[in-house]
Amino acid sequence: MRILRFFILRIFLKRPILVLGMITLLFLANYLSFTTVRSVISTFQGYGEMENLNQEGTIIANLDPDSEADFNEINIEDTQKVYEYLNNNYTYALRVDGFVTSLPNEHKMEVPFNYIDEEAYKINQLKLSQGDHLNFNYKFNKDDIPILVGAGLATTYPVGSNIEITDPVTQQLVNLKVQGVLKKNTQSSNFYAPNSKNYHNFSIFLPINEEFIQNAGLDLHVNGLMDLVLLDSTKEEAMNLRENIKENVGLEFNFFNQQENFDFFEDYYLNSLIIICTITLILTIIIVGLAIWNNLVSVRLMIRDFTINLLVGLSYSKLRAIFYSYFGILFSIILVILSVITAYNRYGSWLRNDSTFATYGIFGLISMDWMALLIVLFIDVIIAFVIVELTIKKIKSIPISVGVLQ
Amino acid sequence: MNSIIKLEIQKKTFKKKGFSILNDFDLEVKPGERLSIVGKSGVGKTSLLNILGLLDTDYQGNYKLFDSPVKDLSRNKLAEWRNQKIGFVLQESSLINSLTIEDNIKLPLMYGNVEKNLTVQERFKRITNKIGIEPILKKKPLDCSGGQRSRAVFARAVIMNPQIILSDEPTASLDSENKEKIINLLFDMNKEFNTTVITVTHDLDVANRHERIITLERNE
Repeated sequence: MRILRFFILRIFLKRPILVLGMITLLFLANYLSFTTVRSVISTFQGYGEMENLNQEGTIIANLDPDSEADFNEINIEDTQKVYEYLNNNYTYALRVDGFVTSLPNEHKMEVPFNYIDEEAYKINQLKLSQGDHLNFNYKFNKDDIPILVGAGLATTYPVGSNIEITDPVTQQLVNLKVQGVLKKNTQSSNFYAPNSKNYHNFSIFLPINEEFIQNAGLDLHVNGLMDLVLLDSTKEEAMNLRENIKENVGLEFNFFNQQENFDFFEDYYLNSLIIICTITLILTIIIVGLAIWNNLVSVRLMIRDFTINLLVGLSYSKLRAIFYSYFGILFSIILVILSVITAYNRYGSWLRNDSTFATYGIFGLISMDWMALLIVLFIDVIIAFVIVELTIKKIKSIPISVGVLQ
Repeated sequence: MNSIIKLEIQKKTFKKKGFSILNDFDLEVKPGERLSIVGKSGVGKTSLLNILGLLDTDYQGNYKLFDSPVKDLSRNKLAEWRNQKIGFVLQESSLINSLTIEDNIKLPLMYGNVEKNLTVQERFKRITNKIGIEPILKKKPLDCSGGQRSRAVFARAVIMNPQIILSDEPTASLDSENKEKIINLLFDMNKEFNTTVITVTHDLDVANRHERIITLERNE
């Protein structure tokens, strides 16, 4: 420890530019690896959710980007016809989010409402920390509507409490009863951008049934079609629905089956991920190469210091241990900086009252961040091994008697 | 009296440069002996000193130091012996410029784990007083004269009270007054502690003041 302290304070830090250069390069390598690893983890997390949804017989609707729709022309009677047709002929899963309300809560967050039907609820398998799961057979305008609240709302709205609110999609005064609390950091991935997440710590999940849909406004009806999932269906049946929607509402939808959705993922996401990982690998190798060069320059400038120490009693094995400890300290500092930046970014969502991205975590970091940090730590061990062994090889190649007179 | 150094070298080869030196070279040194090694440039004087000082173990032959075959010693043991049994007096530039003269002299104490040892502290005071470098202890090497730096190098070499002092051109860049001081310090050490002194030098005046002179010649 004394020797390590001596080397750090009296030898390495005497050339602060080189130390700063090394920290900067290693930070870049770490930041790059961290963001890529986290993106990969996040994408595969999203892919896992997509796999749950994207079963055989499942067909997912998607508004045709070329559809020349005039939303002002759509009226509620038209959409109701579509939903009648849907109810009569299909099994479908419906989930609509994005309706934000100003429900008072201790964190002053806007509260997004998620409308979810029974089939979508089965697919999404939301996990609860308290209370019971949703039931869907309530009578609209008669019974209280059971809801699930995000973990961030649990103190203000505990299980059993009631909320009276004007529902954003029916525009009617409804009575909501908190039936359960979602686990912290419950999240959903965007189906077409699996690395993008919405967190539900301040969301309300409201169960919808046919009666509710009938009472809902145009917004829910139209948005519901955008996220519609047909279950146990065929492409032919989906085409019939496509025609029905076009006829009634004037919107053109594409319907993708299981294989088409997997193909989409492979074409767009897997290939993008491969490209991102390859670029990251190349950049990391370049940065590590620069770090090695920086260290070899340091060795050349400090060779006399090293060899004089070797002359008076330092062994090569101790010198190797010093370098490993030194890089251990540098990487620890870098990982702490990386963690602080990440935690601050996450904390930023709380500062901005951005309920969609507000998360809970140890020191502000969620499990995905910790996992990415662990993988970066493993990458750091490899980088440290390469740099230290090359450094020791370089020092050993210079005879002590020559080094002391450099 | 038994030899503390018993060296039987067949050759020391420089593979990249494609030649060898010290072919069939034998050397025995007794405790307390003063020995100088002279010879033209390139005959292997410094290489011999490196071998004797455990800085180089890449040669063909046998070397017994204190009756122990050097090739059987681990790298850690070699480092320990360099710290405790051998002192190196090199040219005045062999100091770490970012450390004070005091820290340079005390550097071996850190590796011997004797920084707090009172005997060593006493020895430090005695040596620095004797060689007259107390006023410059807090200075950096670059703020000192060549003679002062040479004495600091000497102090560092003897601070652990080694049994052997190896000096490589210790007076090469010094004026006659400072040269005299360094030689006297080496020999005082030899007399006081029966320390073996081996000096590589080009200076025949310095060489002649040793008990024994070995002249190295290039043998093809």
